Amino acid sequence: MMDKDFAARRRRDLIIAAVLAMIAALTPLFVKDVVVQNILILTLMYAGLSQSWNILSGYCGQISLGHALYFGLGAYTTELLFTKFGVLPWFGMLAGGVVSALIAMGLGYPFFRLRGHYFVIATIVIAEIGLLLFHNWEWAGAAMGITIPIRGDSWLKFQFMRTKLPYFYFALVLCCLAWFVTWWLEDSKWGFWWRAVKDNPEAAESLGVVVFNSKMGAAAVSAFLVAVGGSFYAQFVSYIDPESVMGFQFSLLMALPAVLGGIGTLWGPVLGAAILIPLTELTRFKFGGSGRGVDLIVYGTLIVLISLALPRGLLSLFSRSKKTGATR
Amino acid sequence: MTALLETRGVWQRFGGLVANSDVSISVGRGEIVGLIGPNGAGKSTLFNLIAGVLPPTQGSIWFDGEDVTNLPAAVRCQRGVGRTFQVVKSFETMTVIDNVIVGALVRNTVMREARRKAHEVLEFTGLAPRANVLASDLVPAEKRRLEVARALATEPKLLLLDEVLTGLTPTEAQTGVALVRKVRDTGVTVLMVEHVMEIVMPLVDRAIVLDLGKVLVEGKPSDVVRDPKVIKAYLGDRHAVGA
Repeated sequence: MMDKDFAARRRRDLIIAAVLAMIAALTPLFVKDVVVQNILILTLMYAGLSQSWNILSGYCGQISLGHALYFGLGAYTTELLFTKFGVLPWFGMLAGGVVSALIAMGLGYPFFRLRGHYFVIATIVIAEIGLLLFHNWEWAGAAMGITIPIRGDSWLKFQFMRTKLPYFYFALVLCCLAWFVTWWLEDSKWGFWWRAVKDNPEAAESLGVVVFNSKMGAAAVSAFLVAVGGSFYAQFVSYIDPESVMGFQFSLLMALPAVLGGIGTLWGPVLGAAILIPLTELTRFKFGGSGRGVDLIVYGTLIVLISLALPRGLLSLFSRSKKTGATR
Repeated sequence: MTALLETRGVWQRFGGLVANSDVSISVGRGEIVGLIGPNGAGKSTLFNLIAGVLPPTQGSIWFDGEDVTNLPAAVRCQRGVGRTFQVVKSFETMTVIDNVIVGALVRNTVMREARRKAHEVLEFTGLAPRANVLASDLVPAEKRRLEVARALATEPKLLLLDEVLTGLTPTEAQTGVALVRKVRDTGVTVLMVEHVMEIVMPLVDRAIVLDLGKVLVEGKPSDVVRDPKVIKAYLGDRHAVGA
């Protein structure tokens, strides 16, 4: 019976994820090079971020190119709470998530009435406005940014100078969390509603789906997870300014892995990040002196090639037949 | 017993165009009612008003003893109004079963139950063998059937069918007719817009003819097709004289 197939497929996904996570958890035993560790951390982080972006833009179909806003809000909330009020980053992380989710819903209220390109443009503009506000907000450090005071290695304050391993494990947890949330939502009322909204809002509405609420839910979950990623990143780099946590490149780097791997799929973001992020970091490393241009050329070329040859992403190479559906 | 659906003096204007003027119809429980009329008669507009896609300019709509005039489409679906679309609106990137699950989730919040309900509906509508096919891979007749299946999964009291039989081959249309009868036999009331008179007339218990936004004639199908006003609306003055 097909229900068994379905349950088996979901179990299989879960097992593959567990195995991959375990393999990933063991890599620091073999990889001692700090540069490579750094690349692994960023890869895991962007996999998690892209997975979160995918919830709103892939599953629910509301393409956002402004998620840098939530990333930056997560980073700023955490560090402002820490430097100004001494709130531990763990609570700051949670607060950043909640703030971002609320702002995402506040913005969704007017903007979810827009469709297609108009929505995308609105997300870009809003993120740029956020960037400008932080540039000029004296209390939050304005263009100077915030340097996170070093208080010695500690899990409590989530800062480590001598080793990168704790960051690595946190990034792994973040990635697994975002994946698991997606996996769980995929077979839930929300998951079905989101896909219905993406494919045909009018039909969804006629089947009892409140389209507006569905989009709001997706935006909140997506923004929350991305903000947690932003908090992590702030702790990881221990210095933030508007450009370095809210710049447009973050919006792109969240969208691209999912698009490359397969937008609106469970495995797409992870696959895309595993290819794209090491490639970015390596090109930047190799062509270090010649500015940031080369990695952008690499992106551009990749996007053009993928959208021409495999519009549904790399994952579509693996789907056994058309009949198994686009979501695997 | 009160009617399941009633429109009371419903008007719909789009700018200067009057699509529905003072339309009052009622549909009783367990009936199959046909809504017919020439192109531009206002059938689709009336349908959208009943389904809640837009509120009427004037007048009220009552469903199951409740004024639903200002309820949005999603809430009307929860109250028991199911519909199909004239131009099919399948969820193209989802499989057939997933399409139907979306509908089933209205009354089944637990996924396993929604899935079971969806399978049940696929069996009922004869789509079960195609359950795991992407909706975009269905042939047109199957897509029409999927529209009906999805709407049925919401367990409606009233099913609005918007030209589900139009554009099908005669064989496909006959299967469609059989399906509509089967739906009615499960206790669902059906209101259908249809163009193809020779298919609809034997199927419906009652026909309502709209012309130029107004109710022209209403009655038994056999009476309606002989009514000079109906013939005039469809074919013009000359033919009405001979009738």
